[in-house]
Formats: sequence, structure tokens, C-alpha cells
Amino acid sequence: MAVLTAPRKETREHTAGRPPARKRATRVPPVVLAFVLVPLLAEAFWVFWPALQGFYLSFTKWDGVSAPEFVGLANFREMFGDAVFRTAALDTVIWLLLFGGLSAALGLGAALLLQQERRGVGFYRAALFLPVVFSLVATALVWQAMYQPDGLINKTLEAVGLSGLTHAWLADQDTALYAVIVPALWRQIGYVMVLYLAGLKGIDPVLYEAAKMDGATRLQQFRHITLPQLSSVNAVVLSVIVIDSLRSFDVVWALTRGGPYHSSELLSTYMYSTAFQSLRLGYGSALAVVIFVLAFGVIASYLVRAFREADA
Amino acid sequence: MNTTAQSRRTFLAGAAAVGATALTSGCVASSSSGGKGSSGGAVTLQSNLSSPQAKSAMQEVIDAFNKRGGARGSLNTVASETFRTQLPTYLTSANPPDLYTWYPGSVAESYAKKNLLLDVSDIWEKPELAGYSDALKKLCTDSAGKKVFVPTTYYWWGVFYRKSNFAKWGVKEPSTWDEFLDLCDKLKSKGVAPIGLGAGGNTPWVASSWFDYLNIRINGAAYHRDLLAGKHRFDDPEVRKVFDRWSEALPYFDPNGTALPFQDATTALLQGRTGMMLIGTFFADAAPKDQLGDIDFFRFPVIDPKVPLAEEAPTDGYFASARTGRKDETKELLRYLATAEAQEIYLKGSSGTSLPTHPDAKDSGTPLVIKGRKLIESAADVTQFFNRDSSDALAPTADTALTRFLAKPKEIGSILTTWQRDAQKIWSQ
Repeated sequence: MAVLTAPRKETREHTAGRPPARKRATRVPPVVLAFVLVPLLAEAFWVFWPALQGFYLSFTKWDGVSAPEFVGLANFREMFGDAVFRTAALDTVIWLLLFGGLSAALGLGAALLLQQERRGVGFYRAALFLPVVFSLVATALVWQAMYQPDGLINKTLEAVGLSGLTHAWLADQDTALYAVIVPALWRQIGYVMVLYLAGLKGIDPVLYEAAKMDGATRLQQFRHITLPQLSSVNAVVLSVIVIDSLRSFDVVWALTRGGPYHSSELLSTYMYSTAFQSLRLGYGSALAVVIFVLAFGVIASYLVRAFREADA
Repeated sequence: MNTTAQSRRTFLAGAAAVGATALTSGCVASSSSGGKGSSGGAVTLQSNLSSPQAKSAMQEVIDAFNKRGGARGSLNTVASETFRTQLPTYLTSANPPDLYTWYPGSVAESYAKKNLLLDVSDIWEKPELAGYSDALKKLCTDSAGKKVFVPTTYYWWGVFYRKSNFAKWGVKEPSTWDEFLDLCDKLKSKGVAPIGLGAGGNTPWVASSWFDYLNIRINGAAYHRDLLAGKHRFDDPEVRKVFDRWSEALPYFDPNGTALPFQDATTALLQGRTGMMLIGTFFADAAPKDQLGDIDFFRFPVIDPKVPLAEEAPTDGYFASARTGRKDETKELLRYLATAEAQEIYLKGSSGTSLPTHPDAKDSGTPLVIKGRKLIESAADVTQFFNRDSSDALAPTADTALTRFLAKPKEIGSILTTWQRDAQKIWSQ
């Protein structure tokens, strides 16, 4: 587009000896157009239209069978007085902080530990990355067996003389949410580690050599070289974590279905159970809208900040 | 990004009724447009019986029907959870599957009220269904007086135990609530968790059986049905009485009761770690065949002798879509499913612990099944189960309230208030 709006003379000067750029740029081959328009139509039909439909449904009362009944903002007003919604929102925040924070910290830690090319390091990297390969539902089922009252975790605690700590991990409202975070973390750390490993590989070793010459300690090297150099990776990791946190559903649904009595309820599981178990599709859609606004809000505000920093 | 996916999911289940149905209707229409126009083609039977034994038994029934000549059927098995959530979409689509496995009573009634179910009153006059009991006739009739359901099997709930374990512990079946609590005391003194539950994992609904039985023993089946239909409140003093009784038995429940799904609780029962378990006969699917002979049950104990003895005996069967283009063929298949022959084929192929609805159909004939049949036949009233007497939508409110009561019995006041509030939202839909 910039080429098209540039003064003709200037363009000529830049492209001397070649056909005029304007002619080339305006001739968009039909195949290219088709590659853009066909997916756009598919996306519009399968994503944009349903999303708009979701927004419309959030203003209705609908049981999935009768015609939807328009109720205005009643669904959103109901959320203010809904204790389960508050629990789900709080749990989502806890999830975002714990799951997000720990997976970033532990992923970075694992990457720092495994960045050196040593004998056998490939094995450890592969081992940490392995959980990413499994589907979350399969992961959840394995962990469900471990969390059983007579499962591996309680058996191990008994074996080492800590039988006082044994617990019905998934059936206790005090531990359910944290018990569910563990398998999600177990899977996410490997993924974050790979992102950070790639980032670490991109840092010029000369910087470290210079720092060593200046007598910088390892901590100082980390603080003043590694962290600033990883800032672009951090942006990717943060986006991935926020999106993964807000869409966390499968692992919770497979392990606890948000229970016992809503103690491990996330906004996503609450939305699903309201819409498809209680068949309150209007209220469920309103919850979906809230999740959308949250995800959009967090990511947009981050991007705005990131652009501002880039401009500065 | 995720939200787009979530709202897409919301849309897919819901808005199929609005727009996406165009696609499905196109497919169905093209398959039926071949032979005799819109009324031709095989009858599609959408089945939620997805366990391997039940699925192959269903296929045998359909094969037998197809061998007879005349109308043809084709079986389409869908995973149970998917089936349940998609059922409203199936029924409201322009060109839906013809026939469905599902439940009679309130669940069928909720669809019948919206004119989504095929009126099958005429086939109830035919010989295949003429001998069915009056109770079944009533169960399959909607509030407008139309028959909308054809029942084929039912099963019973009871307190199950292992005969050899009861003999080893020197205890016998109780018949009253006090005898039951005594039995629990004895079992506890022997180091056994007296009552297994199995309301953990993905089967929290099992806890509803305790609520159902205590309520029909204390307040009676009529009150129970009214309560589940929204004619009474969950924070009424009558309901509170249910939990007072339940509290008496609570110390005898297996502490892992809300941590294990019923399949694992069954293993604990068979291994003698728990003494007994209130459950439906379907639990036998998870038991090794050679141990079935050692399993026995007793009727849920009597609490108030003045209250007529009702039992939980959920009935299974079929209803058809009002929008089917193959009305005659669908009714022909329904009539076949109601025959003794079809029901026997199914019982032989499946685990065989349920009972046929046709009076002439033979059950598997084991002592357990004979005792179960007697229990139901002698009952003053028969209830279905919480979700079937109320609705699939109300069931999750019970799961939350009851598992919370099991963990925090002292909070019963606030639990019942919350339950009523959650239920009110469903009833006002």
C-alpha cells in the first residue's frame, strides 16, 4: 500500500530498470484472492457469526428448546448476586496467578538449568517436554488415579511416615483447586521451557564474556543480561499463559467438574455447566461474554503497553 | 482466543436449531429422498447405550428387526454425555433422527409439552403393548393424555452386599431404620466402613439415591415427586427431616464415599472394605461375573411404617421425534421393541441384570433378578430417580447440595437455602 501512495517519481527512481511497481502491486492474482476470501468466509460463518450469536444470546433467557426470550441485561445483573460466579472468578484469578506465575518461573528455571550442552541434557529436555505431547484429558486421567484415596500419592505419603498428610485430594474443597493446578502445571512447564530455551540460545555469548571481564557475578549476569535479553520471549510467554489460563477447562472438567460444590470452579467450567448441564444457555452465553472481555482486556492492555514501550 | 472457542461451542449446541440445522437437514433429506420420498429409508435410532455389551445387544435387536422384512432400522450410538447435551438440538432440528433411547415421566413430559414428541397412543392399543401394566401406561402418558413413550426395560435400586461377607461378620439384613443403624454399628466395630457410596469422580449423582429414598420413606413418594416438580421448597421443614435422618447414618459412611466413583466403590464392596451400598443393578456391569452369585440386596429400611413403601425403579425405553418423516416405520420399530422377543434378545446380549417390561418376556432368571422383580411388584409406588422425576437440568443442583452436606453436615441450613435458590433458577426457565 505504501508503494501505491508514494509519489510516482520517487518510485521510478527506486525501481529504475524494472517495470513500474504500481502495475505489479495492483495485479492481485485470483488464486491469492481466493486464498484470502475463502478462509475469511469460512471464518465468518463458523467463528464470527457464532460469536455474534453468543453476544445476542447473552441478552436472552433460553433453555435450548423454546424460542429465546429477550431479557436485556438481566443475566449480567444476576452475576452480581451470584456467589458461584464470584467463586469462579476468584478461582480464575488464583489460577492465572498460580498456574501462570509458576509455569513461567519454573519454565525459566528449567531452561536455565538445561541450556548448557552437556552429556544427557537432551534426555532431560525431552523428559520435561514429554507431558506437552499428551492430551490434557489423558493427563488428567493419570493424575486422577494418583490422587485417589488409595492412589500413588497417598501410598507414598504413608510409606515415608507422613500418613497424617494423606487426603482425598480432589474431593476436599480446601485442596481440589490446587490439586487440579498441578497436572496443568506439569504439562505447561515443558512448553514454557522450550520457549525460554529458544530465547536463551539467541543471546550473544559475547555479552556474558564482557560481563565476566567486568567481574559480574552470576546473579548480576542474570539480572542485567539474561532478563533484559529475554523481554521479547516474555511477551510471547505472557500471552500464551493468559490465553491458556482463561481457556483452562479440560483438565478441571476431567478431574473435578468444578466440584466439590464449586470449590474448583473456573469461569470456563461454570459457563459449560450452566449452559449444557443446567440448560440455561442465556446465562451461559453471558458468562462466555465475560470471559471474552477478560481475555481481550488483559491481552489488549498488555499489547498497548508493549507498543508504548517499543515507541519510547 | 479461547472465548471465541467457548462461544463457538455455545453456539454449536444452541444455534444449530437456528441455522446450522440447514446442513443436517440437507443430509437427512438427501438420504430419505431416495425411496418413497420423505417417508422412505431406514428409521434412525439414536442410542446412548454406548457400553460395549449394551451397544452390541442393541445391534442384535436392530438386526433381528431388519430380518423380518418391512421397515428397516439403523442404529446410531452416541456417547451418553454427548447424547444428553445434544438431545434438545436433535429434537428441535428440522429433520431430526426418528427414534431415541431415553426416559419416561417428567423428562419425556418436558419435551412433550413443547410438542417435540410423536404421539404413539395408537400403538399402545396393539397386541404388543396391550398387556403392559397400568403403572407403565400412566408413566408413558403425558399431561395432555397422549402416550409418548414405549418402555422396554427397568431395574431396581436396593442396598447391595456380599452374602459371604455378611455370613463372615455374623450379621443379617435389617428391615427397619433402627435395625439398619445397629447393623452399621456392628460392621464398624469389625473395622469395616459400613456404607459405601461412590459419589466421587464423575458420578456425584449417586448421592441423590440417598436423598430420594429417605424422602420417599419419610415424606412419601407423592411429596417427593411434588418437591422435584417445584411444588414444595427444598428449605421446607419436611426436607430438613430427611437430612436429620441422614445425619444419623452419616458417621457410618465410608470416608472415601465422595472421593471414589461408583465403579471403584463397587470394588471396595466386593473386596469387603465396605459393608453395603445403596445402588442400582447397573453396578453389576463393573463386577466380575463369577462374583455375581454372591451378591444380594435388601429393601431400603422402613423409617415411618405409616408411609406406603415406594421403590426406585427407573424405566428405560424410547420416544420418537414429532418431526420424523417416517411416522409409520418408526411406530413399526417401536412396536417391535415392545415385544417379548426383542426384549429377550437385548437382555441376553447385555449384562442381564435389568427386567423386561413385557409381561411375557423372560428375564435372566437368577435369584437376584427374581428377588428384584418381587421387590418392584410388591411396591406401593414406584419412583424413577432424581433426574428422571425432576429434570436433567435440576440434577446438578442436587449434586452440589448433597456432596456439600456429606462434607459439612452442620451447614445444612445454608445448603438448603442455596439449593432452593439454584432450583428456582431452573424452574423459572
